[in-house]
Amino acid sequence: MILTAAIYFFGGSAALATLLMLFQRNPVKAALLMLAALLATAGLYLALSAQLLAVLQVILYAGAIMILFIVALTVTPAAWRDKPAPALIRRVLGLAAAAVILAELLKLSTALKAVPASRQFSETGTLELARLLFGPFVFQFELLSLVILASIVGAVALTSKRRNAL
Amino acid sequence: MTQYHLAAISFTLFALAAAGFLTAGSLVRMLMFLELMLNAANIALVALGTPASQAYAVMLFAIAAAEAGVGLALIITLATAFKTLEAGNIKELKG
Repeated sequence: MILTAAIYFFGGSAALATLLMLFQRNPVKAALLMLAALLATAGLYLALSAQLLAVLQVILYAGAIMILFIVALTVTPAAWRDKPAPALIRRVLGLAAAAVILAELLKLSTALKAVPASRQFSETGTLELARLLFGPFVFQFELLSLVILASIVGAVALTSKRRNAL
Repeated sequence: MTQYHLAAISFTLFALAAAGFLTAGSLVRMLMFLELMLNAANIALVALGTPASQAYAVMLFAIAAAEAGVGLALIITLATAFKTLEAGNIKELKG
């Protein structure tokens, strides 16, 4: 019962923060609302018995990725960010497209209504996850290291080119 | 509570983030909403409740981190070249 309430509370908080972010013009305030959404997601993971993922969410998303966004906002001059609000037609079209996406996704997943969700609080240990990551999923896991290596090389190459140009 | 309710939470977050992505003008803001869309997909995975889905969610974390790193590097390079962060103002491909 309390777990169900926690799931709805954290899910609702994340949705509310995202909704407020839509209408926030100040980019730094929008980043802080995104932080709130990500922290609410961490709470949601905890309620879903994914303890390691909740910790990783705080460290990786709310820590590392948010810092990246704040740094990107501070290194770009404020004059580049100032802009008029987008045209009304664009907003309406964007919201309508999102509503269609939501309606279609909900319609497609009606079969899930028959599947009960086991909401007993359990512990998913790191050992169990590690056995999976280094057992059946080892190929995907090793492939990920290549993805990260490529992203590091890409990011360094892009920013070093910029340094030379200046 | 059924799996449908958990999926509905994830879909709502995804749709809200998609709405933000489609209506945002600034590149940084678009990337923020992109991260939130990935986050919503992650919630759907975790909601399945199996250890294998959690393992996949760990991998998605790494993908999200890599995407944010490259995305922000690209945005800073573009912003320096075009002196703007507005996606609508970037019209030339030959920079």
